[in-house]
Amino acid sequence: MSMENELQILWAAVVAYVLAGVTAVIGVILGKRPERTVLALSVAGLALHASSIGLRWERLGHGPFITMFEILSSNVLSLMLAYTLAYWRIPRIRASAAIVLPLMFVMLGWLMVAHPGEGHYPPTYNTPWLYIHIGLGKVFLGAVLVAVGVSCVILLRRAGIGLRRLTQLPGDRQLDELAFRCMAIGLVFHSLMLIAGAIWAQDAWGRYWDWDPLETWAFVTWLTVAFTLHARVAFRVSPAAHATMILAVFVIAFLTFFGVPFVSMTPHQGAV
Amino acid sequence: MNHDEVAPAGEGAGARMAADRSERGLLRRLASLRLTLGLLALLAVGILIAQRFEEARTWPIVVPLALLAANLLAAVATNGVFRRQTALLVFHLSLVALVLLVAAGRLTYLKGHVGITNGAGFDGELAIDERGPWHVGNLDAVRFTNDGFSVGYAPGWQRGATRNTVLWRDGDGRWQQSVIGDQEPLVLAGYRFYTTFNKGFAPTFGWQRDGATTVHGSVQLPSYPLNEFSQAAEWTPPGSRVAVWVMLDIDEVVIDPHAHSAFRLPQAYKLVVRVGDERHEMRPGDALRLPDGTLTFDGLRGWMGYRVFYDWTLPWLLAAGAVAVVSLGTHFWQKFAASPWNR
Ligand code: HEM
Repeated sequence: MSMENELQILWAAVVAYVLAGVTAVIGVILGKRPERTVLALSVAGLALHASSIGLRWERLGHGPFITMFEILSSNVLSLMLAYTLAYWRIPRIRASAAIVLPLMFVMLGWLMVAHPGEGHYPPTYNTPWLYIHIGLGKVFLGAVLVAVGVSCVILLRRAGIGLRRLTQLPGDRQLDELAFRCMAIGLVFHSLMLIAGAIWAQDAWGRYWDWDPLETWAFVTWLTVAFTLHARVAFRVSPAAHATMILAVFVIAFLTFFGVPFVSMTPHQGAV
Repeated sequence: MNHDEVAPAGEGAGARMAADRSERGLLRRLASLRLTLGLLALLAVGILIAQRFEEARTWPIVVPLALLAANLLAAVATNGVFRRQTALLVFHLSLVALVLLVAAGRLTYLKGHVGITNGAGFDGELAIDERGPWHVGNLDAVRFTNDGFSVGYAPGWQRGATRNTVLWRDGDGRWQQSVIGDQEPLVLAGYRFYTTFNKGFAPTFGWQRDGATTVHGSVQLPSYPLNEFSQAAEWTPPGSRVAVWVMLDIDEVVIDPHAHSAFRLPQAYKLVVRVGDERHEMRPGDALRLPDGTLTFDGLRGWMGYRVFYDWTLPWLLAAGAVAVVSLGTHFWQKFAASPWNR
C-alpha cells in the first residue's frame, strides 16, 4: 500500500465527518432529528480513518506520534471516537453535534494542509509508556470536548440562539452537571497522563520533570481544570460562567497539545 | 456566691474564648476557597515566569505552593466537607505530600554529567554537577566500568538504539555485568547513570614523565557526529608543563547518511598532534618526545557521556501520585454514583 491510498481513504473519512457535521447542523436549523444518519456517517468516518491510520502504521512500522500530520490525524480520530461514544450513549445531548462536529472541521482543515511525509522515530519511543501517556492524554481531551459541546448548548441558548431543537435538550442545570462530570473525568485522566509522562521522562531523559514548555503548559492546563472545578463547587457559578470557563480550558488544552510541541525545540519533541 | 471571685475567672474564660474565636476566624479566612482560586491563578503565573526566566526558577513556584499548602491545611482543619468525604480529604493530603516530597527532592538531589572512555572506569568524579544544599549521597564510593557501546543509525543520521555494556561491583564486592541504554539506566547507590546522545572518539595515550612511571589516559574529543568538523581538543599530560593539541582527521565516511549504519571507530584517520609550533602525525604505537617526557599514542577508543541523577524521593513521589489519582477517582465515583446527572 502506498501513501496515496492512505490519503485517499483519509479523504473519504473526512468527507464522511463533514457530511455528519452538516447533517447535524441542518437538523438543528430545521428542527429535525436526523440522528441515525449522523451516527452512521460518524461511524463510517471513524472506520475509514482508523484503516488509513492502520495502513500508515503498517507501512512505516510506527504509530502516528511523530509529525504534525500524524498527531493531528490521531487526535481527530480519538476526539471523534470520544464524541461519537457520548453521542451514542447519551441520546439527550445529541443536538450538541451541531456544534462539536463543525468544531472538528477546524482540525480537519489543518490536517488536510499538514505535510503527510514521514518523520524520525526516536529511540526513546520504544516503550509502552508512549502508548499509555498519549492514550491518557487523548481520553482527557475527549472528555473535555464533550464538556465543550454541552457548554456550547448552554451558551447558545443563553445568547438567544435558542432554536427549537436546542430547547428540547435537558435544562441548563443538568447540562451543567454533565459538563462538570466530563471535566472531572478529564482531571483524573490528565493527572494520570502527567504521572505516566513523568515516569517516561525519568527513563528516557533522566529527569521526571524539568519545566520544558510542554510540561509547563500541561501543568498550567491541569491547574485550569482544578480552578474550574473549585470555582463551580465554591461559588456555585452560573451554568453560563461555568461553560465559559470550560471553553477556556479547552482552548488552553488545545494550544498545549497542538501548539507548544511545534513551536518549541526542546527534547519533548523526541528526536536526535 | 462571691461575685468578686468569680468575675475575673469569667472574664478570663471570655477573653480566651474571644481569642479562640479570632484564631478560628483567622484560620477560617486562611481556609477560604476564594483564596484557593487566587492562589491557583498565582501558581500558574509563577510557573510561566519561572519558565521564561531561568534565574527565577525557585521563588515564583515555591511561594504560591507554600501558600496553597497553608490554605489547604487550614481548610482541612475547618471545612466539614473534608470530614464527611474521606476520599476528597485523602486526595488533597496527597497533594500536600507531593509538594513536600518535591521540596525534599530539591534539597537533596544531584544532577551531573560524566564522560567515560571505553575500558575505563568511573572514579566518583563528575565533569559537571549541580546538587541540592543537603545532598548526602555516597557518590565517591560508586564504581563502574564502561565496557563498550553500540549506537545504531538509520538513513539521514537518525539515531537508533544505544546499548552500553557496563561492569559494576555489587554489595558483596562481586563484579556484575549489565547492558544499559535508552530507557534503562545503571542504578548504583541511588545514583542513576543514563547513556546519552553525547558520545565520540577518544585517542588514548601513554605518558611517561621523565623519572616517573608510565600512566595511561585518554582525551575525549567533542561529541560525534554532532561536532563532526571540530574533532580537536587541547590537553595537558598529568604533571607536564606543555599543553598538547590533538586533532582527529578522519579520511572516510564513518556513519553513512544514506544507509543503515552504526557508530564505529574510523579505520582511515590521522591523529594530528601539535605542541607549540611543531606539528606531528601519529599512528598507534608512535611515540613523541616532549620537553618533560614521552607521549605514546596507544590507539583510538570510543567514549560515552552519561547523565547522572540522584533523587531518593522517586518511589515516594510515584506512591503519592498513585494515592492522589485513586482517591480522586474514588471521590468522583462516589459522588456521581449517588445521583444521575439528569436528575
Ligand atoms: C492545588 C490543586 C487542587 C486540586 C487539583 C483540587 C481538586 C479538588 C477537587 C477535584 C475537588 C472536588 C470537587 C467536587 O467533587 O465537588 C475539590 C474540592 C475541594 N477542594 Fe480542592 N483541590 C486543590 C487544592 C485545594 C486547596 C489548596 C484547597 C484549600 C482550600 C482545596 C479545598 C477544597 C475543598 C474545601 C473542596 C470541597 C468543596 C465541596 O465539595 O464543597 N483544594 N478540590
